[in-house]
Amino acid sequence: MTEFVPARTAGIPPPREVLRTVLRRQARPLTIAAVGSCVHQACEALVPLAIGLAVQNAVAGGDLSDALLAVAGVLALFAVLATGGGLAFYLNARSVSREAHRLRSDATARILADPAAGAGRTAGEWASVLTSDATATAQAARARSNVVSGAVGLAVTAAVLLRIDLWLGLGTLLTVPPLILGIDAISPRLEARLRERSQAAGLAAALAAELVRALAPLRAFGGTGEALRRYRAATARCLDADLAAASANAVVAAVGLVSTAFVTVAIAAAAGWMAFNGRIDVGQFVTVVAMASFVGDPVSRIAFGVQQLSAARAGAARIAPLLGPPPLLGTPPRDDAERGHGHAAPTGLDQEPVILENVSAGPIRALTLRLDPGAAVGVVAVDPAAAATLLAILSGRQAPSTGSARLGGRPLHAIARHGLDFRILVVPHQIHLLGRTLTEALQTGRDTDPARMRAALATASAADLPEQLTEAGANLSGGQRQRVAVARALAAEPAVLVLSDPLTALDAVTEDQVAARLIATRRAQGGATVVLTTSPPLLSRCDHVLYIDAQGTVLDAAHAELMSEPGYAAAVLR
Amino acid sequence: MTALPVATGRRTLSTMLRLARSHPRDCVATGVWTVAAALATVTGPLLLGALVDAVGSRHRGSAGPLLALLAVVGVAGAILSALAQRAIVALAARITAALREKILGRVLTLDSTVVHGAGSGDVTSRVTEDMEIFSEAAPLLAEVFAAAVTVAVSFVGFSSLDWRLAAAFVIVFPVYALSLRGYLPKAGARYAAERRAAADRTQTILESLHGAATVEAFGMAPLQAERVAAASARATEAGISALRLSLWLTKTMNGAEALGLSAILLTGSLLVHGHVIAVGAVAAAALLFHRLFDPLGTLLGSFDDVQRAGAALSRIVGVAGMPGAEPVSVRAPDGPVAIEVRGVRHSYDGTADVVRAMDLTVPAGTSVAVVGASGAGKSTLAAILAGLLPSSAGTTALRDARGTVASADLGEAGRSRWIGMVAQDTHVFTGTLREDLTLAVPDADDHRISAALATAGARWAAALPDGLDTRIGPDGLHLDPAQAQQLALARIALADPPVVVLDEASAEAGSAHAHELEEAATALMRGRTAVVVAHRLSQARVCDRVLVMDHGRVVEQGTHDELLARDGRYAVLWRMWTMRTHTPAEPVQAVSGSSARPARG
Repeated sequence: MTEFVPARTAGIPPPREVLRTVLRRQARPLTIAAVGSCVHQACEALVPLAIGLAVQNAVAGGDLSDALLAVAGVLALFAVLATGGGLAFYLNARSVSREAHRLRSDATARILADPAAGAGRTAGEWASVLTSDATATAQAARARSNVVSGAVGLAVTAAVLLRIDLWLGLGTLLTVPPLILGIDAISPRLEARLRERSQAAGLAAALAAELVRALAPLRAFGGTGEALRRYRAATARCLDADLAAASANAVVAAVGLVSTAFVTVAIAAAAGWMAFNGRIDVGQFVTVVAMASFVGDPVSRIAFGVQQLSAARAGAARIAPLLGPPPLLGTPPRDDAERGHGHAAPTGLDQEPVILENVSAGPIRALTLRLDPGAAVGVVAVDPAAAATLLAILSGRQAPSTGSARLGGRPLHAIARHGLDFRILVVPHQIHLLGRTLTEALQTGRDTDPARMRAALATASAADLPEQLTEAGANLSGGQRQRVAVARALAAEPAVLVLSDPLTALDAVTEDQVAARLIATRRAQGGATVVLTTSPPLLSRCDHVLYIDAQGTVLDAAHAELMSEPGYAAAVLR
Repeated sequence: MTALPVATGRRTLSTMLRLARSHPRDCVATGVWTVAAALATVTGPLLLGALVDAVGSRHRGSAGPLLALLAVVGVAGAILSALAQRAIVALAARITAALREKILGRVLTLDSTVVHGAGSGDVTSRVTEDMEIFSEAAPLLAEVFAAAVTVAVSFVGFSSLDWRLAAAFVIVFPVYALSLRGYLPKAGARYAAERRAAADRTQTILESLHGAATVEAFGMAPLQAERVAAASARATEAGISALRLSLWLTKTMNGAEALGLSAILLTGSLLVHGHVIAVGAVAAAALLFHRLFDPLGTLLGSFDDVQRAGAALSRIVGVAGMPGAEPVSVRAPDGPVAIEVRGVRHSYDGTADVVRAMDLTVPAGTSVAVVGASGAGKSTLAAILAGLLPSSAGTTALRDARGTVASADLGEAGRSRWIGMVAQDTHVFTGTLREDLTLAVPDADDHRISAALATAGARWAAALPDGLDTRIGPDGLHLDPAQAQQLALARIALADPPVVVLDEASAEAGSAHAHELEEAATALMRGRTAVVVAHRLSQARVCDRVLVMDHGRVVEQGTHDELLARDGRYAVLWRMWTMRTHTPAEPVQAVSGSSARPARG
């Protein structure tokens, strides 16, 4: 383990580097956005000044022309404010979504090509990394803009206040920012409550979703009453968490609001006192009072930006393992150059045979198997572990303890996955249909033409299925999904196709029909087929069957001959 | 497809008001604290205006009381705002909780024909997405309510200064209305497109990750990564398109602010120069308006969220308010129970009959197997017999020593005492093994649970390290399809009904465990009236009688031996099943051809 970890982490970029890359890639729009945001904040800070000046010069004194001038000034100020703000808002948000998309695409490509990179987290966790954390990381773009423009807003506020009165300005600047930061500091106490709240809500929502999904089985055994009672309990916990969060929120809000109120009143009192003494005029008094209620804005903006940055760094740390350079792959197959990226269908008689010679591994003892083009071999294993071991050897994930498993003279386990992919296809028993339509579900990156797809569907008795698929083919029955999976494997036309229990969810009639066509089609394709099954319709159509008994001993004969073997007959005759 | 109902705006509102009224204390607290907090917020600038006038007239005497009042109002406003927030969020949480229970309670008892007609996706999205949209929007709705009250009270504040200043303030509303008129018609569609695209992206990512083994086996990582990237790009484009709309909204919001402020300053200036009001009133109006930037922004900016929550709510209320069947109290069964089916016909779409003219009697304590090709109507018949699917025509009745009960009248609570079914789809519930089983019988003790598991042949359960407390399901121990089936059988064994309906109870198990499941099913049938939909014919053989179905009709029936002797469809199926003889070249022809005997009732 210890020597493994550094090797794994060596290629992972540090979070800072990820964020730097994000900012670098969007440098141009982000610079414009930052300028726009600064202009916007500066203008926001000038609004109290504008109000004060207008009250002083156009309302308390002056005439109609002064009033019109004040109005023109206000309109001009807001025009600049809106332009800067709009530009910043749009460009920042666009940069964030584009970067999130880019991070997500890069990371997805990596985790799919190199599943080892995804070790240690479940699929659900990675999905959340690829959606939420990608966005959080990209928020770094907006975070920087928030910090910079907040600082500019604060500087303008300071300049206005200090020009009016040094002491008033200093007083405001020394009390309001620490106050806002202090309020921000107590909010983590709230976060725990909010986490509990969203956790309770998440549990209730998950339970509801599960109960609706399981509605048919639930009603079948009459469990709805108890299910509803359990859901009520979850809802009650949710309500308690909601109420606790509301109370905590109210306390934090009250602390913030009361202390802000004290400071604003103190500033108003000080400014009022100065106005009475003639140190500042009425307009300046209005400016100071309006400014006192605004000055929290740029401070909160900076605090928010800092929070966003730390969230971005946390997100970057989670997504970083998927952004490093890919590890070195094993030896590429000899003819890789001729096959380009391997999208050609490598079928036909020119393929080298797969030969397993005297293989012993785990529960298997001395298994010999030669897969020439067009061969169809059944495998019946009494011990499921023997079947699993054979699958592992054929897919190159495990080397035999003794004996050899070779393709064209090279050991299977030494051939890089991308070299094996297009010749030996070991179809996982658990079916996952990918794509939104039947056509997409049959595409496996081999540019299969529509005629071949139709033929494969017909072979699998799946020609009459709906074209639209809901999530993972949930609108299909178990048997229909199995038939689509068989069609997908046939359409891929691998040189060697390995299937395990491919027809278990079909009724007897369809099972027999598909079994006959499946073997015939594979022969016509000139590909070798291995079927791990106990289905007589399939086994009886294979050239020969390998029977691996409970002791791991291998018998090699035709289905009909093996039927005289009591263990075999018990396994297949149900 | 018959979509589930969506409540009208009026109905949605009245449902909400009814739910709110059931929490009178929270309602009163919400109203009182919110109005009081808004009054305090508005009073602040008015006092500052008075202070301006006191400065102007050099009237020092009033300064002290004004400042004291300002302090009191400021602090009181802060506390009142927090109280208002607390009250309104609590009210929203209680309403949300009530809605959650209402909709799930309704959905769990929905007729399966309704679910089938609407598509289970629609049902699921009402219970999950719509409910989540509403519950997440609840704090926002609270904020919007507070903002609306503040704006309304501000109008009173402006009016107290001068009606012309109030009129100048009102000028912002037509601007907002125009802005929303440009925004809302497009916003709904664009945000919906954005959400759809985002959901599709998440789904594509999840399905790629769950199917990682398939992706690897087929070497299709580049294709699948491309699919995810395309889905992500679509979501990004949809998001940016929605962004342009919010940009328009913020800009018009700034425009309204500029216009309102200008109007107040210009009106104020004219009024002061005409000696109608003092400078302080204008200063107060301007400061008040400056403070309204936030509430006004909240109102306008959350308009589409509110609309969205409203749409979700009307979809929730639509389902929650669907009329349900009257709960009937059904007596418990007395001794063995027979099934009697008369003239049952069923069609999902109203045109094609899936089950036709079915008459069937299953005597108490006997078993019947239903066999036939996919689409013959076996599962539909099973669901009708189990009382889970009301047939389009005909009656299904259960008869015991005390008489007959129509299975349509059994209702959710009564049915499980009479009949238990293992459906084709099994589900392992999230939680412990005990929790999974006690869904069927909440008060079952460990002894009964273990006995039920033993009946179902689930020997693995006894070997679990944490026993019945072992967590199973998606976030616990993964059970294979055979174990999931055993769990389903164990729940029925626990519920112990006199009638069982098993729909392909050993289907997806794979060959290794089929034997065990068959034994478990046979054990469960013992001493009960049983209907078994079987595609493993060895399961049909152990039943007292076998029905062969084709295109919704019974085409053959009799005992296993009788049917073999008759050498009809069942005999062909049996030969194919066992493969004891050589397979005919195209066996399917023989089954669907017309050589078999005609159907008999």
